[in-house]
Amino acid sequence: MILDIYKDALEYSAKDWKTLVILGVVALFSFLLLPAFIITGYNYRVINNAVHGIINGRDPLPEFDDIIDMFIDGVKVVIVQIAYLVVPVIIFIIFAVIAGNLTGVASSAVMIIGCLITLVVGVVACLMSQMGLCHMAYNDGAFTKAFDFKEIKEVIDEIGWFECILTYVGLIIITAVIAIVVTTLIGLVFTVFGISGAALGANPGGIFVLGAFINWLITMFIVGPYLSIFNARSIGLLYTMQI
Amino acid sequence: MASITDCVSEGLKYPFNDVKKLLVLGAIFALLNLATPVSLRFTHVPANSIYVMAALGIVSFIITLFVMGYQYDVVKFSIDKREDLPGFTDIMNIFVKGIKILIVAVAYNVIPAIVLIIGAFLAGDYTGPAVVVILISAILFIIAFFLQIMAVNNMVANDSLGKAFDFRQIIDMISNLGWGKYIGIVLFTFIVLIIVNVAVGYILSFISLFIAIAANNAMIVSVLVGIIQGLFITSYTSLFYNRVCGSIYREAIK
Repeated sequence: MILDIYKDALEYSAKDWKTLVILGVVALFSFLLLPAFIITGYNYRVINNAVHGIINGRDPLPEFDDIIDMFIDGVKVVIVQIAYLVVPVIIFIIFAVIAGNLTGVASSAVMIIGCLITLVVGVVACLMSQMGLCHMAYNDGAFTKAFDFKEIKEVIDEIGWFECILTYVGLIIITAVIAIVVTTLIGLVFTVFGISGAALGANPGGIFVLGAFINWLITMFIVGPYLSIFNARSIGLLYTMQI
Repeated sequence: MASITDCVSEGLKYPFNDVKKLLVLGAIFALLNLATPVSLRFTHVPANSIYVMAALGIVSFIITLFVMGYQYDVVKFSIDKREDLPGFTDIMNIFVKGIKILIVAVAYNVIPAIVLIIGAFLAGDYTGPAVVVILISAILFIIAFFLQIMAVNNMVANDSLGKAFDFRQIIDMISNLGWGKYIGIVLFTFIVLIIVNVAVGYILSFISLFIAIAANNAMIVSVLVGIIQGLFITSYTSLFYNRVCGSIYREAIK
C-alpha cells in the first residue's frame, strides 16, 4: 500500500516538466513573500486532486491558473500549519522556562523530558496538520474542518498511526535520497570533467563553478518543485487510504 | 452559501474588473499620501510653518472624506452584487456619504477613546489601574471595530444613518451569520491584508533603495514611494477590504 503511494506520487510529479519549471521560477521569486504563498497554494491543489481521486496513475497535474485563488489557498495552508506547530513550540518553551529556574541534575532531567515530549508532540502535530489539510481539502476547503480534531483522529485511526508515521518517515527518506543523489551525480560528472580538463591543461576552477551553478539551477527548477509535488501527492493519497 | 474563502478571493479579484477606476482611485490616494502632513513633515515642509501644515491638514481631510464616500459606494455595490466599480461623477453625493461614514466611525470609537484617555491620565499616578483601563479600552476598540463593519453595512444597505445605530438589528444579523464565522472572515481578511502589505512594503523598500541610489534626495524618494503606494497598493487594498465587508452583509441576510 505504501509502495503504491510512492510509485504513483513519483510518476505523478514527473508528468509535466513545464509545470515544474514554472514552479521553479515562482520559487525563485519567493523572497518577495507573495510567490511563496502561491507555491503552498499549488501544493494544496495537488492535495485537493489527490484526496478527491484514487491511485490510478491518470490524474493530470492541477492547472497553474487563477493565481488569486491559489494565493488564498496558500494563506489558508500557512495559517493551519502555523496553528498546529505553535503547540509543540509552546510546550518546549514551558519546559525551557521550568528548566531555567532549576539547577543541577533536576534542570537537565526536566530539559531532557521536555525535549522528548516536544518531539512526540511535534511528530503528532506534523501528522495532524497534514491530515488536517487533507481533511480541509476533502470538505471543500472549510476552515473549521482543518481543526476538527475528532474527525481527523478518526481518519488517522482508520489509516493506522503506524502506517501514517511509516509513510511519513519514508517520505522524508525518499526526499533526502533523491536530493542527495541528484546533487552528487551532477557533482561527480563535473568532477570528472574538471579532472580531465585539468589533465588536458585547462583551468578546472571554472568548470567546478559551472558545475555548482548547474547543480543549483537543477535543484531550484526541477528537483525542488518535483519533491514538493511528490510530498503533497503522497500525503493526499495517504488520506484516501482510510477504509 | 459561499464560504469565507470565496468571499475573500472574490474581493481580491474585484478591483481588476475596472482597472481604469482603480487607477483613478489610486491617483486620489496618491494625492492623499502627498497631502498628509505627517509624511512630508520631515522632508520638505518646514516644521514651523503652521499655516502650511493647517492647509495640508484641511486638504487631506477633504480627500479622506471623498475616499470614505467612495468606500460607501463600494460597499453598496458589493451588497447589490454588482461587478463594476462605482463611478466618480457625483462628487457632492460622495462627500455626503463620506460624512455619514465619518459620523459612524466617530460615534463607534468615541467610548473606547474616552476610556483610553482616562487610562492615559491615570498612568501618571497609578500605574496598576492604568494598565487595566488601557487594556479595557483596547478590548472596547476591538468590539467597536467588529460592530462598526456591520453597522456601516446596515447603514449602506438601508440607506439611512439611523440604521447604523440599530444595535438589535446589527447583532441579529451577526448572529444570523454566526459569530464564529463573522470573526473568522474578518480575521482572515486581515491576515491577507497584512501579508499583502508586508510583501508590498518589502518590495517598496527595494524600489526606494533604487530611487535613493538614482536620485539621492530624501524628498524625491518619499514623494515617489508615496505616489507608488497610493496609486497601486492603498487603492487596491481599500477596494478589497470594502468589497469583503459588503459581501459579509450579503452572506448575513441570506
